Amino acid sequence: MPRLSSRPRAVLWGQYALGGGVALLAAAFVLYPVYFLLQAAFDVGDPDVRPPSAYGWDNFAALPDYSKILFNTLGVAFAATIMALVFGFLTAWILNRTDVPYRRTLEQAMAVPYYVTPLLGAFAWSLLGSPESGFINQIWRGLGGSDALIDITSPFGIAWVMALFEGAVAFVMIGAVMKSMDPSLEEASQVIGGGRWRTMLRITLPLVAPGVLGAAIYVFAEMLGSFSAALVLGTPARFYVLTTAIYQLVSQYPPRMSLAAAMGVSLFAVMFAMMYFYRRLMARGSYVTVSGKAFRPRVMQVGRLRWVLFGICVSYVVLAVVLPILTLFYASVQKLAVAFPRLSDLTFEHYREAMSMNAVRSAMGNSLLLGVSAATIGVLVTFLLAWIIHRSKMPGRGVLEYVVMFPQAVPRLVFAFGMMWAWLVFPLPIYGTLWLLLIAYVTVFLPLGVRTISGVMVQLDKSLDECGQVCGASWAYRMRTITMPLLRPGLLAAWLLLFIASVRELGASILLMGPQSKVLTPSIVEAWFASGSELTAAMALIQTAVIGLAMAVFTILTRRASQHKG
Amino acid sequence: MAEIGNKPPNTSSRRAALRAGMAMVSLPLLNIAARAQSARPVTKVLDFQTTADVLKAEAEGEVVFYTHDGDGAAAAVVDAFNNDFPKIKANYVRAQNGALYSKLLAERSAGRFNVDVIQFSEIGTAIDFQKRGGYERHVSPEIGAFPTKYLSPTPGDYFWMGVTFGGIAYNTNLVKPEDAPKTWKDLLDPRWRNAMSTKQATSGMQFVEWYELRRLYGPDYWKQFAKQRPRGFDSRVPMFDRLSKGDDKVCAIAEYAGYLLYHQKGAPVAFVTPDDGLPATPVVAGAVSRAPHPEASLLFIDWMMSTRGQALYQNNLQLAYNSFRTDAPPMPDGKRLSDFKLLIPTDMADYLASHDIFNKEWNAMMGL
Repeated sequence: MPRLSSRPRAVLWGQYALGGGVALLAAAFVLYPVYFLLQAAFDVGDPDVRPPSAYGWDNFAALPDYSKILFNTLGVAFAATIMALVFGFLTAWILNRTDVPYRRTLEQAMAVPYYVTPLLGAFAWSLLGSPESGFINQIWRGLGGSDALIDITSPFGIAWVMALFEGAVAFVMIGAVMKSMDPSLEEASQVIGGGRWRTMLRITLPLVAPGVLGAAIYVFAEMLGSFSAALVLGTPARFYVLTTAIYQLVSQYPPRMSLAAAMGVSLFAVMFAMMYFYRRLMARGSYVTVSGKAFRPRVMQVGRLRWVLFGICVSYVVLAVVLPILTLFYASVQKLAVAFPRLSDLTFEHYREAMSMNAVRSAMGNSLLLGVSAATIGVLVTFLLAWIIHRSKMPGRGVLEYVVMFPQAVPRLVFAFGMMWAWLVFPLPIYGTLWLLLIAYVTVFLPLGVRTISGVMVQLDKSLDECGQVCGASWAYRMRTITMPLLRPGLLAAWLLLFIASVRELGASILLMGPQSKVLTPSIVEAWFASGSELTAAMALIQTAVIGLAMAVFTILTRRASQHKG
Repeated sequence: MAEIGNKPPNTSSRRAALRAGMAMVSLPLLNIAARAQSARPVTKVLDFQTTADVLKAEAEGEVVFYTHDGDGAAAAVVDAFNNDFPKIKANYVRAQNGALYSKLLAERSAGRFNVDVIQFSEIGTAIDFQKRGGYERHVSPEIGAFPTKYLSPTPGDYFWMGVTFGGIAYNTNLVKPEDAPKTWKDLLDPRWRNAMSTKQATSGMQFVEWYELRRLYGPDYWKQFAKQRPRGFDSRVPMFDRLSKGDDKVCAIAEYAGYLLYHQKGAPVAFVTPDDGLPATPVVAGAVSRAPHPEASLLFIDWMMSTRGQALYQNNLQLAYNSFRTDAPPMPDGKRLSDFKLLIPTDMADYLASHDIFNKEWNAMMGL
């Protein structure tokens, strides 16, 4: 092999210095709190004394007592992941690969469930499907039915709500992969006689496998850490999962933090087994669909079937968007939310009350500021991390992929304790400020950004970059003119997801907010605990409207930027 | 057990007279203690007395309040203080009692002292914090308005900011008044199986109910109760929400404050006062040592203990803690604390020692 001249070697070192710096920083952000979590999990001394006064395995030895809860958690998470992937894949395929009518409108509507805080989705479905008071069941009984038509508090009901609201991310992640796919392989399949469904199952599905698997890992981890649906729907039915059990254990006095940390840490094993499986699968084949050959994303003509597919998408939008939002609005304009209110009980008082709360107004501003900052920084960081993991030959890149998944592997409420302990002793005055929340959001959403961008990155043929290299283009120039434009759908999807995830974040914010750094979602949860369902519904709709407005601005800006470039 | 009689407000009794006499004796002693310990000039601000230097407090410009209460309730407190003292920006941090205490201790062990005043929903937490030397001893000039039993053993560390108490509530659309449970033992009737709500082990109120009814009826009461498969919740609002909508027929620890809130909304709920008494738990507040705004923290405590602070806590339905001040006005519905027979643990050592058993038993009962 010819020796590199001094200039290319310097450039290579420059790349590695930049990439390595980002990798080290990200790893430090993740591993620093993880160290404190591990410390807590093995703490068998006075739980209120830090650092621990004694270490041992007692907390892990107590875990079999909670095996039923672990079983509940895995069962619900598995069911919800399957449902979310089926919804996500089917709708992403319909909207990206077929000529279904009103695609753009449907595409925007499909992402709405993700704007809504999962608590609100759970809350809306609780109003709709509770066995006694659920609006659907009241109407059913009003029509002469007996018992309950649906029971949203059952494990299946909880999984359904989790899939609708926390699984909506699967649609965005798989959709980003499908957007970057050259349709020539699908066309070839159809030319040689493969039907539409056969093409979808035999060609499309295997080609988007990295994206689907990446989404599956992310969604399953998200479901393991899911809190809101289990809290609102499971608790009344005495059905607990790990997150709701942990919440109870850390909220009671004396708080059982060490046991909660052991529960959280034990989930690392589940997550890393899945990561190992994913990497093995990825190593076996090539999933490149974007090569040097030019292509224009085209859609399949599906004839009359387009209206059936349209019906499927509309049904999803109705169940996940229209019905919950209408239900919340219906509840928010009543003094006491019931299915058949009197006219005299209708009121807009809850909106007036929500808007008059100083804390809500400042929290809304903080949430938007943090959302934009965390998404922008997060996309830059996760892009570089994905590049290191999938494109560089940097030593330790495999380990890095595991490291960035840590925050996803443990319920955020528990990870937040690790972050609190870590940043409390850090010799910089950021504890209790918006800076800490920014660091927390970028850290906990590293897995989301990396998974979203990686799904698209592994589709890019390395030869495109190598071509530029042969022509003498610098690494930075190649990034700017080749890699990043090709990754544009993935980067935009990642920004969008990080923005929404940050604005609606709950678990870490509860613990890390300071007196002057409040954000919105914990206030909404508090309203549910302390003020009643009607005010909560009003606050949730206000939050959804604000996120929707921000998304509309983002969409207009990116569209204008595209037109300008075009 | 302390009993705040189940009698009309002005009824006199030997015990009441004795208590009043004790209180009268204790007042001057406390005032002397206040003067001796604080050695600070007492000034009158608005309609209350304080030993804080108000000008210094205003120069500090901020006071940070940690509380277990929800956002709405915490905001109501700091907004009211801000209205009274516009030059001092009151801010709050809130979390559930256990998480709040963990956060506080973690901050202090890391050498960060961010909090001026703290309020716990569980007296055991306050006692533990006192043992760790967490409170700034401040004998407020308003302390004389509180009976000594509602103050920390060494007055000035913490005080009972207010009390919340609970009885039984039922949905009037689903349960006829003649069928409704009248006593705590009526809750063991199989007809309430799978139709009853309680609180989780996170609740100080639930701990008191468990402790007091166990003391009255023995440990078997809760074993029988567990067979009813009650549903557990973290706060009173979701419980009354469910009760008023018919998801539950009966609430086994219905806080009176929650009843007032939903009664005002026109919900079909009724409140039952069992003859044996109503479990009651205080919320406990105090100034924190090494506070970043020491004068503002003392002013905040004096304001909390004053008639105006206590009135806010009693009348705002998101707070709705009844005042222990001897001159406390009636509650929003016109009743007084003395109209209810309250069950408050008196043997604190025994009460605190039983917390672990409670957590274990109650978590198991809730299905955890």
